[in-house]
Amino acid sequence: MNSTRRDLFIYAGGSAAGALLTPAPWRLITDTALWSENWPGIPSPPRGEIRTKFTNCSVCRAGCAVRARCVGDQPVQLAGVASHPLSHGALCPFGLTAHHLPYHPARLKQGSAEQALAAASAAGGRIAVLDLRPGRTASWTYRRAMAALNGLYVTADQPVAFDLHQAKTVLSLGVPLLDGWGTPGNVWAARPGFRLIQAEAIESRTAALADVWLPIQPGTEEALALAIGNAIQHGKADDERALSLANELTHNGPALVLDNSGSAAVMALNQLLGAAGHTMVARPEAPVPDSWQKAVLATGLAQIEDRSISVLLIDESAVDRYLPWHTIERKLVRDNPVVVTFASSRGGYARHARFALPTAVYPEFAEDIPTAIDSPAATFRISTPLAAPPPGMVNPAEFIATLADLPKSDALRERADAIHQAGRGTVFTPADGKTVAVKSLTAEVFWKSLSEAGCWIDEPGHGRAPQAEPRPYLPPSEPGSGGLPLVALLATPQAPPLISPLMTKLYQESNLRLAPNRVALNPSEARAARLEDGAHAFLETHLGKCGVEVSVDAAVPAGMVLVGTAPGILDVCGPAARAKVVAA
Amino acid sequence: MISANKPTKAARYGMTIDVDRCNGCGACMVACAVENNVPPLPQANDRKGLTWIRVYKVDNGQRTAYVPVMCQHCGADTPCVSVCPQHAVDIDPATGIVGEMPQRCLGCRYCMAACPYHARYFNWWDPEWPQGMEKALNPGVTPRMRGVAEKCNFCHGRWHAAKQQAAANGQPDGPVSYTPACVEACPTGAIRFGDLNDTTDPVAQAAKTSGSFRLLETLGTEPKVYYQSKRDWVRAIASAPRPGLGKENSRG
Amino acid sequence: MKHRGKIAFFAGMLTALGAGWAGFPYTLYRSRPQPVDFSHKVHAEKAGSKCDDCHSFRADGSFTGIPTLDKCAGCHAAAMGSTTAEKNFIDNYITPQREPQWAAYARQPENVYFSHITHVNRGKLKCESCHAAHGSTGKLRPYQEDRISGYSRDIWRGKRMSDCVACHEQQGLEHSCLDCHK
Repeated sequence: MNSTRRDLFIYAGGSAAGALLTPAPWRLITDTALWSENWPGIPSPPRGEIRTKFTNCSVCRAGCAVRARCVGDQPVQLAGVASHPLSHGALCPFGLTAHHLPYHPARLKQGSAEQALAAASAAGGRIAVLDLRPGRTASWTYRRAMAALNGLYVTADQPVAFDLHQAKTVLSLGVPLLDGWGTPGNVWAARPGFRLIQAEAIESRTAALADVWLPIQPGTEEALALAIGNAIQHGKADDERALSLANELTHNGPALVLDNSGSAAVMALNQLLGAAGHTMVARPEAPVPDSWQKAVLATGLAQIEDRSISVLLIDESAVDRYLPWHTIERKLVRDNPVVVTFASSRGGYARHARFALPTAVYPEFAEDIPTAIDSPAATFRISTPLAAPPPGMVNPAEFIATLADLPKSDALRERADAIHQAGRGTVFTPADGKTVAVKSLTAEVFWKSLSEAGCWIDEPGHGRAPQAEPRPYLPPSEPGSGGLPLVALLATPQAPPLISPLMTKLYQESNLRLAPNRVALNPSEARAARLEDGAHAFLETHLGKCGVEVSVDAAVPAGMVLVGTAPGILDVCGPAARAKVVAA
Repeated sequence: MISANKPTKAARYGMTIDVDRCNGCGACMVACAVENNVPPLPQANDRKGLTWIRVYKVDNGQRTAYVPVMCQHCGADTPCVSVCPQHAVDIDPATGIVGEMPQRCLGCRYCMAACPYHARYFNWWDPEWPQGMEKALNPGVTPRMRGVAEKCNFCHGRWHAAKQQAAANGQPDGPVSYTPACVEACPTGAIRFGDLNDTTDPVAQAAKTSGSFRLLETLGTEPKVYYQSKRDWVRAIASAPRPGLGKENSRG
Repeated sequence: MKHRGKIAFFAGMLTALGAGWAGFPYTLYRSRPQPVDFSHKVHAEKAGSKCDDCHSFRADGSFTGIPTLDKCAGCHAAAMGSTTAEKNFIDNYITPQREPQWAAYARQPENVYFSHITHVNRGKLKCESCHAAHGSTGKLRPYQEDRISGYSRDIWRGKRMSDCVACHEQQGLEHSCLDCHK
């Protein structure tokens, strides 16, 4: 008997019928569906024991207390510590996502410390350290190193602190008081006690919630302060607004005036209003060991002679404010200056430095956070590490100490011991929310509390009136417009050098905040420049040009451009600079 | 599978949001994304983003306010529940939370069209985190795949943890008290969360005051998120079809 | 030949039935043994361990699941008996401090939320209600994994959603999807 093709087909039909009576085809369908749900390669969150760890956030100088929810040892979520006497459980968006920073794709990971050390040691001439967050224990190491090397310790910081709790009227000249200035928890705790007048060109977040929003032209903050000062001293003024502000500030005191650039006019106005020693005090610092006192004093950039520095070491690992490169570059000798920057991000001075050395980021390494600008009492808190840094990271304090041949020491521990010896103040421990007097603790226990993210707070009432002359750290606005039709407004607050990839929620995915690499134009200005939302463009000023992305925002007045705070933009665009935006 | 019997003691979780305290910082938005494993989307624009809670900037031509909007957890005739062909959304009788099952969703986006608050978002792209950052994901929430809709669920992962803690403490079954991520993160305390069925809860009490209003109340969706403001023009926003008070602000 | 068609048909059907019922599971599942030859029976009898000595609850109610190496090293830092299984374990895992990569039979997909303590404390369920006699087995059976979906075969043996739902419906405890999903 021969098999025919027909048999084969009948056999196949029987197989198909039989197969339908088996689990095979149904399982294949189900399994394929299950497989298709998983094939895009969606990561599975890690499993493990949930633990709580504490630290202090070192992204900015506020140093808010942080409670980290960890899976095993890996932080997966950050929140505030509600019982903390300064931060009251508040964190800002940058702080809430800072546990992502170690994984940032634009993170600097490579750089040869040996080569940089060799170059810095070999070069002759003047050496200087630029410290972008003074007041840290590392800052003292730099000052001691510069004393040993006869170099300069340069910083650009206002040596003042403000006490909002004592103020009844606050005039803020464009300062983002309610969104990124000082310690958020502290500002909001003090907010019900004062009347806030926000003088600013656009209605920022702070202006929206201020008691009064006073629209002023960008760049006129100092003039307004001078006019108010005149009105107070002479009882009359040409400017009606200055007169009424002068009345309000003098009659509804204690008053305080804040501005972004720390100008002499505002300092003088605060002195006139009697703020010195009350709402404005000399910025306090935690005690240091006596042996450290032979350290150099700080110098302002403006006080340095042009073209005089041969070796410049920039500590960009902790940044309070980015200084435009041209203000720094003019102080360097023309002939082969050695510039070493210690940075976690490629976008800052790493673009200009000869050596860019990678540093650990928060929350990878232990360092202390200097007293916040809104704390009239000195504080000392350590950012305890929650994760291990990758190999190859450079510690700027160790590098500079090696350069100066300073003896190796545990500077943080030494400082803690000095604070303990001074015997003042209290220490708050986040784990149990208790505050204990330092006098009642041994040095060991005190150090242990600090290592577990405790916070030392000095006794109140040690605030002295500011002594030092103000150091204006932003160059005066360059004159002339030269065909540049727009006035630039810097968006506030300035973003930290490295921000979590998740901040796209606030930038691209909602336009709630202006991304650092963007500029915002009024719709009429955008139309005139033939630019659409999201277009690539160049921001041009007389200092140069920078590639940006455009946002169209009706809240920006015509004739102005709101610029983000990416270092590339700040390099070419100071506050109130004249600019134009052209399509790329 | 949804029970027809209501549990003996049901919670009705709700929120009050004080618009006069919101400074538009966006801490709530990023805290939500951290808690719920929402991926960063640098390629998105403000119409394609995944922002389970979104702070809208609204103005009346002169002054500005910031209004955070998330799923309002509509209590009556919940629009997204009634349109979903997959029954991927349901309203939980024990908590009042409108919960979404992304694994059932087939991505038709009918719910997005139905939601009057524009509070639902779609995964247009595969979720991707920068290398290494997937180690920092929250184990209490599943990451979603491309092609499904998602929305705020009042931090259900935290509700699970609270119920588990209650079971561990030997407490009888019943409503638990917990804090969603946005409430915990808000630095000004503008957003508060509580059980609207619990008359002793300050949130429930605040919701009943005459100062509270809800968005689009005339639609009859009975949302559980109450807003508060002393400014009349902000109250008028609540009747606008989309925050922006008529001026169709493409910024949202 | 008469009935030629019918014979061919039924022959095909039988082949398919055989392949589908016997051959298909054989090819669909990938089998691998557990990394350590662990005997629950020995530990229950000789060591007098109860389930929750190793599979315990933490203070927040979470379940520790399969114990980590430090739990085993607590007793087995040095050999306690004379079996090769224990010797292998100490040589390959305890000494080099390597975590055994256990395969959890009932590992559910990522979107499932199951709280052991709720079922134990409130549901008053004993371990055996869901895990049968696993705690008294002498050997750990091999772990069988579906090649296509990646899930364990044990899920199909009583740990599917329909199994959980059946019991919940009986107890009148079903409310909402997100009770058991996350």
